[in-house]
Amino acid sequence: MNSLSSRLLISVSVLLLLFFGVTIAVLDSAFTEAGAQARRDILDGHLVALLAAAEPGEDDELALPDRLREPRFGRIGSGLYGELRDGDGTVLWRSRSALALEIPGGVVPELGNHLFARESFADGTPLLTLSLAVEWEFDEGDSKSYVFKVAESLDSFNSQIRKFRRQLFGWFAAVALAMLFAFSFLLRSLMKPLRRIETEIGEIEGGSRVSLSNEFPTELTGVARNMNLLIDSERARSDRYRYTLDNLAHSLKTPLAAMRALLSDRHSEKFGNRFDEQIERMDEIVRYQLRKPAASVADNLVLKPVPVEKEVTRLIDGLRKVYHDKAPDFEVRIEPGMQFRGDTGDFLELAGNLLDNACKWCEQRVRFTAVPSVGARAIATGMVLTVSDDGPGIPQDAADALLQRGMRLDESTPGHGIGLAVVKDIARSYGGQLSIGKSDLGGAEITVSIPPVASSRPE
Amino acid sequence: MRLLVIEDDVTLRESLAKKLSEAGYAVEQAADGTEGLYFAEEYPIDLAIIDLGLPGMSGLEIIREVRAKGKTYPILILTARDRWEDKVDGLSAGADDYVVKPFHFEEVSARVSALLRRSGGWASSVLEADPVALDMSRQELTVNGESIELTSFEYKIIEYLMLRAGQVISKAELTDRLYDQDFERDSNVIEVFIGRLRKKMDPDNSIAPIETLRGRGYRFALERNQSA
Repeated sequence: MNSLSSRLLISVSVLLLLFFGVTIAVLDSAFTEAGAQARRDILDGHLVALLAAAEPGEDDELALPDRLREPRFGRIGSGLYGELRDGDGTVLWRSRSALALEIPGGVVPELGNHLFARESFADGTPLLTLSLAVEWEFDEGDSKSYVFKVAESLDSFNSQIRKFRRQLFGWFAAVALAMLFAFSFLLRSLMKPLRRIETEIGEIEGGSRVSLSNEFPTELTGVARNMNLLIDSERARSDRYRYTLDNLAHSLKTPLAAMRALLSDRHSEKFGNRFDEQIERMDEIVRYQLRKPAASVADNLVLKPVPVEKEVTRLIDGLRKVYHDKAPDFEVRIEPGMQFRGDTGDFLELAGNLLDNACKWCEQRVRFTAVPSVGARAIATGMVLTVSDDGPGIPQDAADALLQRGMRLDESTPGHGIGLAVVKDIARSYGGQLSIGKSDLGGAEITVSIPPVASSRPE
Repeated sequence: MRLLVIEDDVTLRESLAKKLSEAGYAVEQAADGTEGLYFAEEYPIDLAIIDLGLPGMSGLEIIREVRAKGKTYPILILTARDRWEDKVDGLSAGADDYVVKPFHFEEVSARVSALLRRSGGWASSVLEADPVALDMSRQELTVNGESIELTSFEYKIIEYLMLRAGQVISKAELTDRLYDQDFERDSNVIEVFIGRLRKKMDPDNSIAPIETLRGRGYRFALERNQSA
């Protein structure tokens, strides 16, 4: 049941069945009702004819002529029968058609009343009967009660209904089949663009196509566009990884070569130190290259927003442990409910490096602030992070050099340079920037501003 | 001081254990997470060094388990992943500090002694309780400013007692925490060393730095300096 077409086909079939079922039931009952009414009217007519034909005969009783106007009364087994009984139920007259048949007595209506009833012959043939009880006044002045009764066999009526039903079912079944057929044909042509997307994706995987074409129906252009975005960002990501790996491999070659050269000189006095220097260099290369940002601007929309306050609290709790002896005073100001649109790891890398540096350099005080920045047509707010401390600060020329590349300011406190270089790279990958200034606390003040994510949709 | 090292790389683990032993610690080693957790929960240890990427059970899980069991000794994590995400995860799981691979042994050693000092409630690496001062980084004991020659075992005892200044330490605890192996479990040895320490630190019996509580153990009796 995972195919859209079979789901649609099944639901449409059920709907058709329901619709036709109700229609058939309504038509059938209307037809039967109309038929039954017509029968009753006819029967009524026959009864009136019998009444008109009745005349007092001998023995002071009512009598009917042998031949009646309606020929069906005279034909044996014609299906239309007449009967006259007196008040006691004795049969006075019975039409020729009812020869050898016993019309059931049934219920006798009250005087002057009509009574329709469904009865049947002894052999089971269904009958529609109409009885009328009358008080007949003879010329002499006395009166007697009689019951006139006409009955018509329902055989022909029932077979008419059966025939009607057969036709009804036949036609509706044919129409339903035709509709289903037409529908599945329609479905096939509707599903065509979906199948084309599938083929095109297959072609992209196979390498014979770069992106999805843009000749899709309006409903699918969004899907195709987003798919293309995803493919592009995936391609950019893999390019980025390839580039990083390439850089990593190549930049490791130099210290490796240096180490090999050192090995030939292994008995020299400074061997240990110089060897260690190369290891340090390799470690730094690996750290820098591997800490390249995980996300790009295109990915921002897919990523879950990062709760800034929660993550910063976690970071500071950790840093309190690490800088237990120094015990810096943290002053944190975060706009309530602020979120960072991006990767959690990237955010921790930004805030972690900045805070770690501040803890490392500060005398006692570290300040962290985060405020949102909003731009026109923004679908996600940006962010301005500021971390400042009361340490020695960073001189302007050194700041410029620091921003150039991951250079170290002070060899005895490793990581300042690399940390800031990583922050700069991440900020840039989110379209933001890093600036180094002087804090009113006395030390360095580092500001990272990440711009709001603007809507990429054309308006 | 008894340390536990949980690290799966043999070279790294053995070199670390060797250097820590040389620095005067008793060291237990575990090569995977499951064994590590057993040691961490069952052995009398003062500090654990745990690698985050372990086979069997991750370092993070060990830290969580150990903390859930109510163990409060300091934990130092070793990690090859130095993204802040990993460090923060480790620290909030209950670790106290981290060292990123590759590291210099000196860095680990400095962190270890700082953590031990912190767990004893000392803020500086020089434990001062006038007139006694113990410089942990230089492994030097001074009384009234004069340096006192100690054997490595004597140093271990006074370091242990001073780190837990004010607490009563039983002989059994001292043998447990200070001996690398199970031999020499004779408590008389401890008595002998305590006696020698007293003689060296307090020849004229005027400051009485180590108090004996009969049947319970020993206590470093001098008041810690306010600033320390």
